[in-house]
Amino acid sequence: MGTVAWAGRKIGGALVVLWLVATAIFIAIRLIPGDPAEAIMGGPGSQASAEALAAARAEYALDQPLFAQYLLYLGKLLALDFGTSYSLKQPVAQVMGEVLPNTLWLSLLALAAAWLMALCFAAAAIRSSRFASQLGSLMEIIAAAVPHFWLGAVLIMLFSSALGWLPAVDNGSAQGLVLPVLTLALPLAGFLTQLMRDSLGEAMGSQFALAARARGESRLKLFWRHGLRHAALPALGLTGWAFSSLLSGAVVVEAIFARPGLGRSLLSAVLARDIPMVTGIALFSALVYIVVMALAEGLERLINPAGGQR
Amino acid sequence: MSRTAKILSAIVIGLWLLMALAPSVLAPGDPLAINPVQAFQKPGAAHFFGTDESGRDIYTRVIHGASDSLSIGLAATALGMGLAIILGTVAALSPRWIDDIILRVLEALYAIPSLLMALLIIAFTGPGVGPAIVAVGLSTAPGYARLVRSQIRSLKNSEMLESATVLGRGSWLKVRNHLVPNALKPLLALVTLGIGQAVIWAAALSFLGLGAAPPAPEWGAMLSAGRTYLHLAWWMSLFPGLAIVAVAVSATLIGRALGGKVKSL
Amino acid sequence: MSEQELITVKDLSVSFNGAPAVKNISLAIRAGRVLALVGESGSGKSVTARSLLGLSGGSVSAGELTICGRDALGLDDRAWQKIRGNSISMILQDALMALDPLRPVGREIADGLKDHGSLSKPEREQQVHEVLTSVGMPEPGLRAKQRSPELSGGMRQRALIAQALAGNPQVVIADEATTALDSALTALVLSQLRKLKEQGRGVLMISHDLAQVAHLADDIAVMRHGEIVEAGPAEQVLNHPQHDYTRKLLQAVPSGVPRFAPLSAAGAVPPPVLAPKIIAGPPALSANNLSKSFGKHAAVDAVSFELPRGKTLGIVGESGSGKTTTARMVLGLQKPDSGTVDLLGERFAPLAEGQRRKLREQMGAIYQNPLGSFDPRYSVGQLLADALSGGKTKRTAGYRNEVAGLLEQVELSTSLLPRSPRELSGGQRQRLAIARALAPRPSVLVLDEPVSALDVSIQATVLDLLDRIQRETGTSYLFISHDLSVIEHMSDTVAVMHQGKIIEQGDTASIFASPQQEYTRMLLSAMPRLR
Repeated sequence: MGTVAWAGRKIGGALVVLWLVATAIFIAIRLIPGDPAEAIMGGPGSQASAEALAAARAEYALDQPLFAQYLLYLGKLLALDFGTSYSLKQPVAQVMGEVLPNTLWLSLLALAAAWLMALCFAAAAIRSSRFASQLGSLMEIIAAAVPHFWLGAVLIMLFSSALGWLPAVDNGSAQGLVLPVLTLALPLAGFLTQLMRDSLGEAMGSQFALAARARGESRLKLFWRHGLRHAALPALGLTGWAFSSLLSGAVVVEAIFARPGLGRSLLSAVLARDIPMVTGIALFSALVYIVVMALAEGLERLINPAGGQR
Repeated sequence: MSRTAKILSAIVIGLWLLMALAPSVLAPGDPLAINPVQAFQKPGAAHFFGTDESGRDIYTRVIHGASDSLSIGLAATALGMGLAIILGTVAALSPRWIDDIILRVLEALYAIPSLLMALLIIAFTGPGVGPAIVAVGLSTAPGYARLVRSQIRSLKNSEMLESATVLGRGSWLKVRNHLVPNALKPLLALVTLGIGQAVIWAAALSFLGLGAAPPAPEWGAMLSAGRTYLHLAWWMSLFPGLAIVAVAVSATLIGRALGGKVKSL
Repeated sequence: MSEQELITVKDLSVSFNGAPAVKNISLAIRAGRVLALVGESGSGKSVTARSLLGLSGGSVSAGELTICGRDALGLDDRAWQKIRGNSISMILQDALMALDPLRPVGREIADGLKDHGSLSKPEREQQVHEVLTSVGMPEPGLRAKQRSPELSGGMRQRALIAQALAGNPQVVIADEATTALDSALTALVLSQLRKLKEQGRGVLMISHDLAQVAHLADDIAVMRHGEIVEAGPAEQVLNHPQHDYTRKLLQAVPSGVPRFAPLSAAGAVPPPVLAPKIIAGPPALSANNLSKSFGKHAAVDAVSFELPRGKTLGIVGESGSGKTTTARMVLGLQKPDSGTVDLLGERFAPLAEGQRRKLREQMGAIYQNPLGSFDPRYSVGQLLADALSGGKTKRTAGYRNEVAGLLEQVELSTSLLPRSPRELSGGQRQRLAIARALAPRPSVLVLDEPVSALDVSIQATVLDLLDRIQRETGTSYLFISHDLSVIEHMSDTVAVMHQGKIIEQGDTASIFASPQQEYTRMLLSAMPRLR
């Protein structure tokens, strides 16, 4: 399929998904029993003032027929107006714009770190004995199963309390990034390693690997020229999902390490029942997922233009 | 599944059941008993896992917390997997256009990461154990539904079922004799993996203050309390976390042994 | 005339964790001559080939192992790397998988040059261009930049051969290089190998099929269970075989064997000559103008044929000819876009499943790999009980006698009843599939490449079994295969398919003796013949 047509299809699909998500949120808000204005303002127990409720009604056109509300809602989203966070008294989009870079930066670093670690472990696994291989497998399962909130605590215990090498709380320095990035990256690395090890093993045992060796290629060259690409391929396909799980992990990690970011804002928004903020963040993360997926798929096509699996 | 694997799995599952249903057998004390004099004791002979800020014995709390954490995890899995199995099976066995619609919806829901979706639900419902169960269940359902659908689809299109058609079997017989029995094992594997995941997610919610609340001995809540005193009393965080990891890892291993090679996280 | 010995092997033994795979074999590969190493699966022929490259993966010991003048005994991997690709190289079986699908083929070919020589980049590109031209690749400059899945079958094959020739090796090993290739590609590979021989290189051909190597081989060595049971000049081995096993292999080749003449020793006992139950009436199967397209691609185009009762109609064609789609339409697994199928005179397709279900017991199917068609939870006995009871039960209790009868009919022992089909050999699985298909006593069996995955000698026994069953029960066969010699031996009438159409149809003898269509002639000329 031509690249333009492919890109067009991707964008179209993305818009459909976003539209579905937005609609689901719209319906969910309206499903809450009672006054939608109250729900937007933080639930029945929020004790919002009459003026605030009136303002909400006006902003969301709650007096209008349902369909008009829906169109207004969609229209606002298209203009990137996610509403106003009542707890912070600021437009949602503005708040997100402020904290987003931190979280994105954290997630990207973690993604890169996880990939690097996974590639190294997978490569090391190829030449190991049966016992080491099984041990490695177990380690990967444990790493993938470790929850972020506990891993962060353990790392803090080790490197901060016990050894005093690294700070436990964000102090604006690059050093302060190390533990959070590691906390986010390790579970993902565990999972990616399993994936890469499988496809790397398959590639190294395949017919073309044998043919390459029959041409006189050394094992090292085999890995570089052939193994690497095949190992990366399935992991690339899962990048979209990996990134979105990193985003949700960031929520916990930012809480543990007291870092400002989308996660922390989301948490306070949830505790304050700030619906516009929460829904804004949800929609945004859906957007991020789609964009990252598309990028990863584009990369995949570059490596594997034929498109078939392996 | 090899015999040793079966025996080990049975022992592990038995242990968890014991902890959840009859924790007093392993830890006779009271998990809620306060003893301020004994606060912040290091792990030792008197208190295996040490004590917390109110002098409560952590070992006892971890063992009793199993029932909280495991029951939330199980309930959430029942909800999530139940939905997933229904949706996934319907999608796999329906005509193309119904399948397409369901698939699109699932993909849309899947675009929001599980934890964020759970948080979204809690934002609407408010915090608590019940909402936590609903949140975890609903947020994990789309991912599992996709897996169930692909599993059943590959069975539906298999040569085995084609053979049955050629032999003249009708739909009911094909489903009864071949589809359902062959789908059970992978589904069971998926459920097992799901329980491990659900325990983690539920603990995450409690950790963030949105699920079970202190003084309940739920593991996530214990970690949340432990965070404040991390430099002072590291044992408050280490042991509940180990319990969570242990459940998740054992669930993964058992699920794998049953034949599930499925995404964790 | 003694040609130079390029490779000398004496008393080579290879074992894996103590289990011997090759036991004390000796052979020689000479310049300008083709040595064919023939054997079935498990014979050790591939292991032998790989040990000539140091790639066997097992423990190797030998009295002598000389490769192009160098002593190759006890070399470490680095020393072997210098020999591989330079003095000796290998062409593997599957061109799609033997070339990395993620890399351009030009790079694959250039790799060997990079590792061994000291050519500059443009010089290497020039070499790649030359070697691609020498194997007849059209537009070599363009093709070098493409990856193997983007190339057509023929081009892939040429690329595969090219990558083995880049280092200008003196010896080339072709490991099952023509197995599972259609006739055009087989002809291509064989002609390339012949060229190599004429260039003065030594060629080692590994194959399980004597017919494939018969015309090209100068010398033949037959391997079995890790040993060479017979070796000598091709003419002698083929026409005056000394060893029983060689004779068995030769007898098993179907090409040129008349209809119903046995291919195996067990088949030698002539079945009771039951006149096939010719029932005057409607033909077993009748297909009329069947067509099916997938998108723009017309897989099957206006196909019509008739299968008389008690006879075999062979449908022969290469991959992509539409024969499998036709079979699926006949079996009612695929709805035709147009056209009809009648089974025993009654409309079968297109028809709603509910209306034709009772007809289904008259038609059974056999696939190439039967394991996929068995429910993995069922044992042999349960599969048969399920088939006999119409799916109502899998318990063997009420069906003891019938199950035993079916097993006897396909010559399987009742001791296999509790086993899982996974534990059976390929030949046993196929017999089980036949037994299951016969349970409802169908009038028609559709067999789609039923023996293509089997070793030659096993293939022979299964074909003989099918013949015997046809004689005893009068079942009609729709026999689909790409293997011309099998079709010639098994069919009464033949239909040749090409690009979705039946281009030629008729009596087997006349089609094979005087084909009318160009394509048929091409197929027949490429068919490996022993006799």
